[in-house]
Amino acid sequence: MSTSTPNARARRSPFGTTTPSGDTTLTGLQRLPSHTRYPLTPSRLVTATTPGTQRSASRYTPRARGVGAPATPYGLRARQQRAANTPGRDRRRSGRMQRETTFDILRNLGRALAPVSQPIRSSPQEKPEPIEEPVDEFEQLDNEPEIERPRLSLPIQESEEEGEEASPEMRPPRMSLAFAEEDMDITYQSVEYPRDTSIRDRDRLSMMSRATGRISGDFDETRLESDGGDETGIMGDDDEAEDTMMSGGDFDRGGETEDLGRFHFDLNFPSPAAPPLEDPTGGDMNDMEDFELSTAQPPQAPSDDDDNDVGGDFGFGLEFPPPASPSESPGIVGGGLRDEAVPAQGKQKKISRHGIPVPNLPAGVVKKLATRFARSGAGSKAKINKATLAAIEQASSWYFEQASQDLAAYSKHAGRKTIDESDVITLLRRQRHINNSTTVFSLAQKHLPKELQQDMRLAMPP
Amino acid sequence: MAVQKLYPRGTVKRIVKAHSNRSVSKNADILIFLDYIIFMQELMREASIRSRKSGEKNISANTVRKVTEKTLRKFQG
Repeated sequence: MSTSTPNARARRSPFGTTTPSGDTTLTGLQRLPSHTRYPLTPSRLVTATTPGTQRSASRYTPRARGVGAPATPYGLRARQQRAANTPGRDRRRSGRMQRETTFDILRNLGRALAPVSQPIRSSPQEKPEPIEEPVDEFEQLDNEPEIERPRLSLPIQESEEEGEEASPEMRPPRMSLAFAEEDMDITYQSVEYPRDTSIRDRDRLSMMSRATGRISGDFDETRLESDGGDETGIMGDDDEAEDTMMSGGDFDRGGETEDLGRFHFDLNFPSPAAPPLEDPTGGDMNDMEDFELSTAQPPQAPSDDDDNDVGGDFGFGLEFPPPASPSESPGIVGGGLRDEAVPAQGKQKKISRHGIPVPNLPAGVVKKLATRFARSGAGSKAKINKATLAAIEQASSWYFEQASQDLAAYSKHAGRKTIDESDVITLLRRQRHINNSTTVFSLAQKHLPKELQQDMRLAMPP
Repeated sequence: MAVQKLYPRGTVKRIVKAHSNRSVSKNADILIFLDYIIFMQELMREASIRSRKSGEKNISANTVRKVTEKTLRKFQG
């Protein structure tokens, strides 16, 4: 039979004109699915003795291939039956096995393996358990700060709900790493003292809390501050950090220390919380051109542990009442330059860190500016409600505080007693509002009315 | 902008004077207020951007609060 195969082929080649694809059919047979291959098996070709039948079979082949698998189920079944009836089919196939393509090999392999191999499935039981444990740990670790965080935002919300228009108690912006600075050398502080923002921030806080004059709100503020300190994690020493934080709070609470003290006891705050009163005061004294004192302060700050009468306990040679203690007269602090606000005075009267009452910018002016610039962005009608206006006013009061301190630093550096136009120019330049392309005058032209421009020009001949 | 009186000059002077403990020269307050105008512009711009981002119609107090610190930092001399 094997010998007859080449014969059959040789015989068929003369008929190649009629069945041009006969050879390709044979070789390509292996790639066909089994049912289409069977009718064309070489064994069938061989068993067909007459060339006529062979021709017909070969003629049939290309069509079948062209059409693809059997067109009808009947055709399919007929072919299968024919294939099943063909004797010696297996032998022939085994003889031609060498012809198989890699695809066939792979398919056979797949068939052989199919019943054995399992579909790949991620085992659900094993995986979660080993992973869950580390995940839990991490989550626990992650959860701790997350638990802390709500406390940060909560008091703001509360205060907002309590009195929206009264006073927006936002956290005063911390302009620099205030608490890192406290750790630093005194020399650093004294060298940098004009720009000592930690002092500045605390004063800002103080101003604000004095303005509110509400105990609950104040306490929230305090907690806020301390949380913020913890969160930043700048200080290596936690206790000290908290001390300073609390000190910020106590110091600021003008006249409400007792209440705060009660809070400390109730909540089991660490007892050294209150005393650090001195730190801010020391900052003030730094400002008051007494640097020597500040060296003494940091070690002493944690040492006074009595909470309630903080007033008497100051270890300095100087006797000044702690600004926060109500028992002392709310008078002169730190070289007589700092006046303490009387809480009863209420929101309108703020006192600067130099003890000078700060007037508020009239709300109308602020509102006019705000609407003007809000409108430019958001279409024609931009409403600014009361709470927003209060927030803007707060922001602008902070702005004035910041700007004034900067200006004071510039004028002091220039050796002047007054804040000059040149100082403001310096400020504007440092804020990058004035540069090579923009001059003060162009800015003024953009923003100021004519009369003010004239005044400005008079003051500064170009 | 034809505003009769843009701002009370005395008040601005007093504010700055209180905060800096220094006197303010005669016309410096104009420049200070100019800077303040720029500050307000920046603040409101930031606030409106932020409020639009969060889909509010008007600028809310909270938005202003959130923006305040950033803007103040920008204006630190």
